[in-house]
Amino acid sequence: MSATAPLQVDPPRLSDRAALLDEAPLVQGKDDFRSLTDKISGIVLTKPPSGWLILFCLAISLLLVLGGSLVHLVGKGIGIWGLNTTVNWAWDITGFVFWVGIGHAGTLISAILFLFRQKWRTSINRAAEAMTIFAVACAAIYPVAHLGRIWFAHWLFPIPNQMSIWPNFKSPLLWDVFAVSTYATVSALFWFVGLIPDLATIRDRATSRTKQIVFGILCLGWRGSHRHWLHYERAYLIFAGLSTPLVLSVHTIVSFDFAVSIVPGWHTTIFPPYFVAGAIFSGFAMVVTLMVFARKAFGLEGLITTRHLENMNKVIVATGTMVGYAYAMELFIAWYSGNGYERFAFANRILGPYSWAYWTMVSCNVIFPQLFWFKKVRTSIPAMFVISILVNIGMWFERFVIIVTSLHRDFLPSSWTYFRPSIWDMSTFFGSFGLFFTLFLLFVRYLPMVALSEVKAITAAADPHGSHSNDEAHHAA
Amino acid sequence: MKSHGSALAEDTKVLDRAVAKRLVSRSMVLAIAGVALSALAAVVDTKRFAFSYLTGFTWVVTIGLGALFFVIIQHLTRARWSAAARRHMEWMSGVLPACAVLFLPVAVLAHDIYHHWMGPQAANDHLLQQKAPYLNPTFFYIRAGVFLAAWAALSLWFIKTSRAQDESADFRPTAKMRAGSAPAVIVFALTISFASFDWLMSIDPHWYSTIFGVYVFAGAATSSLSALALITIALHKAGLLRKVSNVERQHDIGKLLFGFTIFWAYIAFSQFLLIWYANIPEETIFYRHRWEGSWKVVSLALLFGHFVVPFLVLLSRHAKRSPLVLGAASVLLLVMHYVDLYWLVMPNVDHHGAHLSWIDLAGLLGPLGVGAWVLSLQAAKSPLYPLNDPHLAEAARIDNP
Repeated sequence: MSATAPLQVDPPRLSDRAALLDEAPLVQGKDDFRSLTDKISGIVLTKPPSGWLILFCLAISLLLVLGGSLVHLVGKGIGIWGLNTTVNWAWDITGFVFWVGIGHAGTLISAILFLFRQKWRTSINRAAEAMTIFAVACAAIYPVAHLGRIWFAHWLFPIPNQMSIWPNFKSPLLWDVFAVSTYATVSALFWFVGLIPDLATIRDRATSRTKQIVFGILCLGWRGSHRHWLHYERAYLIFAGLSTPLVLSVHTIVSFDFAVSIVPGWHTTIFPPYFVAGAIFSGFAMVVTLMVFARKAFGLEGLITTRHLENMNKVIVATGTMVGYAYAMELFIAWYSGNGYERFAFANRILGPYSWAYWTMVSCNVIFPQLFWFKKVRTSIPAMFVISILVNIGMWFERFVIIVTSLHRDFLPSSWTYFRPSIWDMSTFFGSFGLFFTLFLLFVRYLPMVALSEVKAITAAADPHGSHSNDEAHHAA
Repeated sequence: MKSHGSALAEDTKVLDRAVAKRLVSRSMVLAIAGVALSALAAVVDTKRFAFSYLTGFTWVVTIGLGALFFVIIQHLTRARWSAAARRHMEWMSGVLPACAVLFLPVAVLAHDIYHHWMGPQAANDHLLQQKAPYLNPTFFYIRAGVFLAAWAALSLWFIKTSRAQDESADFRPTAKMRAGSAPAVIVFALTISFASFDWLMSIDPHWYSTIFGVYVFAGAATSSLSALALITIALHKAGLLRKVSNVERQHDIGKLLFGFTIFWAYIAFSQFLLIWYANIPEETIFYRHRWEGSWKVVSLALLFGHFVVPFLVLLSRHAKRSPLVLGAASVLLLVMHYVDLYWLVMPNVDHHGAHLSWIDLAGLLGPLGVGAWVLSLQAAKSPLYPLNDPHLAEAARIDNP
């Protein structure tokens, strides 16, 4: 296992068999172990490119917009939003569900693909998991902000008090508090545990005393001994096993927020799996958007290859089609039910005052992703960038359509209304991107954004016996 | 590709001719006995038999569909561990063409089963009038024809292409099946959903649930994986497969079975909780019927037998690697899949409580016998694993650390 062994798999082996059976190597380029370490830890240990600083300033500006909006909210109350008595939930919970959903791809990549032995995940799992945690942080803003009186935020939790006031344990909103906080905790732990070996690498390479101390503390005294690795691997597997049901439970419970009610358009039994599929869909779109940038900016094209992006695009078309299946089932059963309220709710979505939002949702989520059936499209960087943005837009609209179109036609026609967002609705939502991008830019700058120890294990150099068949070359780690 | 030959020399390529013959003749006896018993039951009590037979028929067809799904999804995900398992699932999906014939009694007795909306009283039911463009006999038969033809075509195409690779030692069939798997999964999802609505949900035509198709699919996946586990264990016990399928592959099948057991419970719970919580009479009536009298026992049996017990058992790594424990869990889940379908169908006949009858057994044994016979015909004539799958060596080597 010499450190200078080339990573490139013999080109002649990539014959028609490899092409037909999708057997391009998982990592490409001429990097060996040393140059890989140089490259990844170099991002952390050297000065960032000037573009990073510009982006960071932009992100901070947006974050300030969020801060300003929240300060104004605390001062005035939630009346500053466009809500009214009929549509009493709109951009706030849309933003919450949007961000929680984004997070799901990170856990899918880090936990579920790990359980399914999908080794291509190693190049992207670190960044995707970071994205999970930042997205959950963005989501957490909304339930708290929606309280208006945020100094009572601790009332979200069932804390014993002398007045014996408890949250409603039968409410899915309380289950959300448990689900999301558990999810955030476990995701953060999983992410941190995965980081430990790489943090030690950074510690060993750091030249300044401060960095040595900081990374030395963060890596918890990792020495890379056999015993360390044994515990590490075991912990990783347990975390993956725990995260898998956890991630499904989170968006399931988010879907319960709506589906346990009797509001037509909300109450339908397919909501739980449909929301989970939609969450993974939107999360993967966000990962593609970010990775297209990051791989270019930091010269990681050899690690995050076209094949990685293509695989993600396949997940996008698969989950997008599942979402399309759910839309179709909702429509069919609404008609099949023969129930006038159900039928009206869906006819109103398609043809009513919000039909523009409905058709934006359908085009972005179901129609455009179908372009990924073509290999040319799913391997084209500009095409996937545009489609991934469209999916993000479409998934925001999905939540908006579900929430607002179901509410704005009340059972009492005298209460019918049309929701218009206020400037504060918009500034809070767009400001939350400031939080997300600020955290993400800090992450790519100060932490190893690719799981070094895992990526090394799937390079050809990690397979000293030099497999005879290409199909084994990158799977024998 | 020739090099696989030596590495897998310990694996038997085809069943011994005498064994194959015994398998086929025994299952044929079961098929004949089952069909005869079914015929007798049909004469004795046609109405009850119609429902009993539907339960037995859907049990066989869902296992075949679960197998077809497995085959499709292995290709779609470019799976490398599952070469042998895929072959066994191909055998199982081979019952789908026979299901076109097995459907005939359902078609003939449809007016008994779906009497609510096929009978004359539907004319006086405002709701059913609304649904008539979908729920009418002509369209019902057309749809059934489309479903059965689609499943037969898909399963035969995958079987044929896979067998062609056995002969040709070429990797192109693999690429071909992978390309075909993506459109196939869409056809599969739509047909199994609407077949569930047509054959099971519409027995009570007032009731509806958007997740129903996914619920039936979850049962199909669980039961077919249980059957796969039993086939795998049997082939290991007989010493026929040692390398290409081994205890690691059994462990993998156990993991999938464990996962799908949870998936079934997740879908069942989602449907139950949402309906229970909203408490709208037109929806809760479904669970009300299944909580009356002794149906309560069946409902609880499902909760424990289809989820709690297999979940706790299969949680353990040792259990998934033990032929005895995994085998027992698989048998339990196959039985519970029948109970699940019984629980969906029979409350429409036995109001206020379950009444077991020999006719139910007859309704099961007919389709079961024919299914077993077709399965053993496949096993008898086809190699025990895809002889030239490009990833055989890997299937033999990957382990579960």
